[in-house]
Amino acid sequence: MRQLFMALVVLVSFILQTTLLQYIEIRGILPNTAVILIVSYALLRGSTGGVIVGLCCGLLQDIFFGNGIGYYALLGVLTGYFAGRSHKNFYRENYIFPIIICAVATALYETVIFVTGFLLQGHTQILYFLVRMLLPECVYTAILTVPLYRLLFAVNEWLELKEKYKYRLF
Amino acid sequence: MLQFFEEHKKKIVIALAVLLAVLALFTGGRKLNATFAEDVLGFVVTPFQDLTTGIGSWVEDTISSAQNQADQAETIRNLEAEIERLKAENQRLSLYEEENKTLSELLRTAQRYPQYSSTGAAVIAKDPGNWYDTFVIDKGSSDGLESNMVIIASGGLVGKITETGHGYSKVMSILDSRSSVSAKSLRTGDLGVVKGDITLMDSGLCLMEYIDTEAEILVGDEIVTSHLSEIYPDGIPIGKVTDLQTDINGLTKYAIIEPYADLKHLETILVMDKSTAEEN
Repeated sequence: MRQLFMALVVLVSFILQTTLLQYIEIRGILPNTAVILIVSYALLRGSTGGVIVGLCCGLLQDIFFGNGIGYYALLGVLTGYFAGRSHKNFYRENYIFPIIICAVATALYETVIFVTGFLLQGHTQILYFLVRMLLPECVYTAILTVPLYRLLFAVNEWLELKEKYKYRLF
Repeated sequence: MLQFFEEHKKKIVIALAVLLAVLALFTGGRKLNATFAEDVLGFVVTPFQDLTTGIGSWVEDTISSAQNQADQAETIRNLEAEIERLKAENQRLSLYEEENKTLSELLRTAQRYPQYSSTGAAVIAKDPGNWYDTFVIDKGSSDGLESNMVIIASGGLVGKITETGHGYSKVMSILDSRSSVSAKSLRTGDLGVVKGDITLMDSGLCLMEYIDTEAEILVGDEIVTSHLSEIYPDGIPIGKVTDLQTDINGLTKYAIIEPYADLKHLETILVMDKSTAEEN
């Protein structure tokens, strides 16, 4: 049930991100909904869940937009793992924490892409990257985290309630 | 009195008949003014007739106008619905007109390269990140597409296919920083390489690098693909030079190119198959 539901969420999020969400770009900058999804799930369910969702999101992006298989998948897995490590240390009802984690995760995620895909290939426009791409994307992603985290939180709550009844002994 | 009538019924009837017959004979066929008796009678009766007819026609009018109002409301409703329908249809038709314009432009582009067979395809998804400019089109190996086929849109070069699936293909546009196309200036024949650039991608421009300092490229020159490339056929228009700069090393120049194809709003593109040219 949960696996099916999460697979559906990952797929729908990918499809929306590549089609409809292209229209909400602001000066060429799109929020990173994949990171929001991975981080939110990792915060709600821990490292294992985060790694699995990160792997699925990353693989999808690799297959349809990547140069080879594995680059985005690795990034997604790492994001899910590190975000999931704070699973036990915070109250999931708190909203500030997921926003901060999402912004930081987006920053790290994009920095890795910039360093491996651009800086090491001789594109040294670091200032442009920081001011025009990283900062707006982090802010945009952080803002979009609020509704998406709320949505995933509700879905998770509902699923956990169902699971609780399933495993009840009497 | 009644008895008198009863007794002389026949006679009275005959007398009356004769009288009326004579009267009819005398008055019939002649246009005469009304007699005094008739006038009196008319004076008494006609106002009532008038009144009755008036009432009758008033009732009739009232009823029919009420009927009319109901009819009119119905008509207005119908017309409004009709207007709505026509508006929607109008919008649909103007969309068709736009599409028609784009497609006929594409067809004209395809006819400029009659030696290659070409296939139209639609853009169905774009890169979810902000780094690269790649997109997915809705045709793949099942339609005979292969990687390294050239993509053009109404204005000019768009990019090339990097990978094909069964029903989809990945396309890398010339704005992508990983793409490079050997190009030349149409006017002077000076060579260079058109590359994507991360800082220009957002504004839909790209760079032309490695231009010789002696080259006589000017702002406004048309840039086309060169004969040196194995992937891109010779002479496909890429764009116009909008700015010229000298590199820091002082040996080469670079130009900023504005592509002819509207790469930010691609919907339909054309895939050109180079392999067909060799067969012909």
